[in-house]
Amino acid sequence: MIIIFLMVSCYPDGPESYDDMDVVYTNYDDEFNFASQGTYVIPDKIVKITGTLDQGEDPEFVKEPYNTQMLDRIESNLAALGWTKVDDPETADLALFPAVWINTNVYYYYDYWCWYYYYYCGWGYYYPAVTSYTTGTFVMAFVAAGEEYVDPYTVWVGIANGVLSGAYDYGRISKSIDQAFKQSPYLKIK
Amino acid sequence: MKRIFAFIIFGSLFFVPGVFAQQGGHLSVQYDISFGMGDLGDYISKASFRGISVQYRYAATENILVGVDAAWYVFYEKRDYDTYTVGTQSISGIQYRTQNEMPILVAVDYLIFTDKVVNPYIGFGIGTLYTERATDMGIWRIVQDPWHFAIKPEAGILAEISGNTSAKIAVKYYNGFKSGDLDSQGFMAVSLGFAFGF
Repeated sequence: MIIIFLMVSCYPDGPESYDDMDVVYTNYDDEFNFASQGTYVIPDKIVKITGTLDQGEDPEFVKEPYNTQMLDRIESNLAALGWTKVDDPETADLALFPAVWINTNVYYYYDYWCWYYYYYCGWGYYYPAVTSYTTGTFVMAFVAAGEEYVDPYTVWVGIANGVLSGAYDYGRISKSIDQAFKQSPYLKIK
Repeated sequence: MKRIFAFIIFGSLFFVPGVFAQQGGHLSVQYDISFGMGDLGDYISKASFRGISVQYRYAATENILVGVDAAWYVFYEKRDYDTYTVGTQSISGIQYRTQNEMPILVAVDYLIFTDKVVNPYIGFGIGTLYTERATDMGIWRIVQDPWHFAIKPEAGILAEISGNTSAKIAVKYYNGFKSGDLDSQGFMAVSLGFAFGF
């Protein structure tokens, strides 16, 4: 009994808040010469990727003021790294395409009380227990145009992912955007 | 409490036969505190306070006990927010690292004395060590779960409390050799428990 008590009482703590689950991932093409670039173009809307986007329907966009807040954060980070924003895609060295998508994962399970007594396992008239969590993913892709603007390809990607709390949290998003550029020192051109 | 231990260890050393050298066998259950070393120590630097070990021994001769060991240890550490880079890829976040170690060994112990209440022994085990290393970051989990070939040197003391019950204190070192994509996994365990003769 003492041993069981010790084992249970020392059970470790997991994540304590939503931002404990935030992750930022970046990757880049190490053959691409970022230092020789200087300008970029960025759309003024952040697209929401949904299941209907590939069926030719009009895309959804992130609502204001969140859209502008996120774009401003990206632009201030790029300015600090030495990049200049331009309006004409044909004169820009690179294009940065931001996007978000939301994904809800639902799990249901039953017989979670089997540990209590075998008699209750395997009966068919139970109600399943349901749990779910929703994740939000924010993607920034730096795309370089190929020769004569044919065959564009991604030279850098930054992805922020976290479990959504149900309320828009600019602090978490801005922190993740900052982190994506912070862990990409090769983007610094000045 | 210290006086009780001192009494048990030093006051009863003389001329009382060691019970486990004479009986057919004993079963011991211990609470273990363990410390990761090498690759495991690098992965989780905190000590584990979640460990239990069970040992069965049969007296093959007066001095030699043979038997089996089974144990379960859980190492855990929450790492601060940090960035991990491999090649061109970087990922930042809080990592939750958990490692379960479950050795199953055949073992032999050598009792230094056979006629004392406090009976030091040395032992050696050989068998397998199942490792489950889980790295949680965000909603993702990376799991590595190889079986290792393992050895375990051990030294300890059996201190008789009553006719067929002894306190057991031991220090063990488990080493599971490289297996799969995991390097050799080693840890030291300090055990405290009771042995019951039958």
